[in-house]
Amino acid sequence: MNTMFAEQFNEPATNHSTAAPIEHRFNPYSDNGGTILAISGADYAVLAGDTRHISGYSINSRFQPRVHTLPGEKPLIVSANGFSADGETLVRRLAQRVEWYSYNHNKPLSAKSCARLIQTMLYGKRMFPYYVATILAGLDENGRGAVYSFDPVGSYEREQCRAGGAAASLIMPFLDNQVNLKNQVDPATGEPKIATDLSLEDTVKLVKDAFSSATERHIQVGDYLEIKIVTKDGVSVEYFPLKRD
Amino acid sequence: MSDPSSINGGSIVAMAGKDCVAIACDMRLGMQALTVSNDFPKIFQYNNSFIGLTGLGTDVTTLSEVFRYKVNMYNLREERDIEPETFANLVSTTLYEKRFGPYFVGPVVAGINSKSGKPYICGFDLIGCINFAKDFVVGGTSSHQLFGMCESLWEPDLEPEDLFETISQALMNAQDRDALSGWGGIVYVITKDKIVKRLLKTRQD
Amino acid sequence: MDVILGITTEKEVIVITSRAAVRGVSILKTDDDKTRVVAPHTLLAYTGEAGDTVQFAEYIQANIQLHEMRNTTELSPPAITSFIRTQLATSLRSRKPYNVNVLVAGFDTATDKPELNWIDYLASRVKVPYAAHGYAAYYTLSLLDRWHRTDLTLAEGLEVADMCIAELKKRLPIDFKGVEIKVVDKDGVRTEKVTE
Repeated sequence: MNTMFAEQFNEPATNHSTAAPIEHRFNPYSDNGGTILAISGADYAVLAGDTRHISGYSINSRFQPRVHTLPGEKPLIVSANGFSADGETLVRRLAQRVEWYSYNHNKPLSAKSCARLIQTMLYGKRMFPYYVATILAGLDENGRGAVYSFDPVGSYEREQCRAGGAAASLIMPFLDNQVNLKNQVDPATGEPKIATDLSLEDTVKLVKDAFSSATERHIQVGDYLEIKIVTKDGVSVEYFPLKRD
Repeated sequence: MSDPSSINGGSIVAMAGKDCVAIACDMRLGMQALTVSNDFPKIFQYNNSFIGLTGLGTDVTTLSEVFRYKVNMYNLREERDIEPETFANLVSTTLYEKRFGPYFVGPVVAGINSKSGKPYICGFDLIGCINFAKDFVVGGTSSHQLFGMCESLWEPDLEPEDLFETISQALMNAQDRDALSGWGGIVYVITKDKIVKRLLKTRQD
Repeated sequence: MDVILGITTEKEVIVITSRAAVRGVSILKTDDDKTRVVAPHTLLAYTGEAGDTVQFAEYIQANIQLHEMRNTTELSPPAITSFIRTQLATSLRSRKPYNVNVLVAGFDTATDKPELNWIDYLASRVKVPYAAHGYAAYYTLSLLDRWHRTDLTLAEGLEVADMCIAELKKRLPIDFKGVEIKVVDKDGVRTEKVTE
């Protein structure tokens, strides 16, 4: 802190009339921690997130699920991680838009269109953004797994995998290495390895490893891991305990 | 951006294995976003102790010279090599001497004790607080990425060759997610009677 | 906006410095030399804050010359570079640091190899095949990445230098009034060419 300001605020009480007016500023944002991770495969997509909810060093809840299933018979799953009030609001508004779409058009909203809808919703608040890292997971028109990731103002991209939130920087290089096989070469030929689709079983293992590691080194990550899996049969959920410290 | 510890960029990681240790660094030196050199190693050897220095480039060079001087003086006085544990304390006290005007570095020490043959690794903050670690230590602008990589790839009692693969993958994948690190890498794998230095050919971006 | 550029070739180092001395919006001088010969085979090129640069360069020059007279031996380029870096590093944590960036171009007569060192005002030092300070770096380093080889002949090196100068003339918003091109090789330092 600048000492000049400290002195300014510690003016004696008698000087009140001449002292500069005290400014109060409301901060509309806070950070509620947590991390999310999505990986897509040949006929599935998973979106996982820890269930810890924090502010500062306090744990508000050990079980506040942040991965949401959107309405419809061919569901998409979405998580908006960062400032949870904004995240909740975005997901609720999105869910309503998705529901009304199905009523108006008598068909479910595709993953591709949902991604574009999220972009317009995020960019619609360009000057007062939702403070969230958003990931959408589901199946595309061909039944393949699809993952879309967004920045707070709506830039988005379809990817094989993506980590978002507090421990994204810890998990993302691990995903590059283990999902996209970056920096790995075939010992026989010396050529870079080509990434292929992972089995659902391997993917879930990878997700658990990623979160166990992130929990170990990031204080905002822990308690429980909620893994949501989308296949043609719908959404299934798996829970996995993480360290609570 | 004017934070001294992230002007020049760079990363360090050290890992312990079964009767072996490894230490690795990247090769970049930049000024903010501009890369000035891709031949700026950050690991220095003093007897059987290794130190990786990340942070402000000038302090990396200055400290490497200070430690060379101090270890040479130790060798002359004691007529023996300095052990990694002793060297770590030398690093700590040297940094704390500048408590109120610090060197902007994040050092990592690695080595094998020549008497006991025990692997030794540790890290420091910029004023010399030692972090004694059994598994791995990281430092530099990609420390977050390195933590994620090491925590998921490292396992106990790795043999030298496996330790090399582990530390190399940790370093390469971490620095590929950091704009201020990369442009090559150096890995030292240290066993009781052999030191192997390898250069990593990595992405150049 | 000063241009300070160094390129090593197989047998020499080419040093290019702009001739304009600028203060605010005025060009004060069009035949400025931003280098000092600090030893028979070592050239110091500098840029930075107005008063500091020449003061620092001549301080280095004088001390190297004094050392040479006392010991009747020429200091090698790496030794001189080390000395300069130490001076800058000490200055950095003093009450009023020197705001000077330098290139040290030398020919090491012991190893028979040219050598170029880049040092900024923070005293970050690195040995490089080619280097530049300031805005010139943004325009020329990519050209040098593409065209530089360690086995360049002097003629080829000067050709690459001309490409860099042409690019700088095209892109820099202020006329730098031509350049002085100097060469450091086994015979010492010489001025190769001066342009308008």
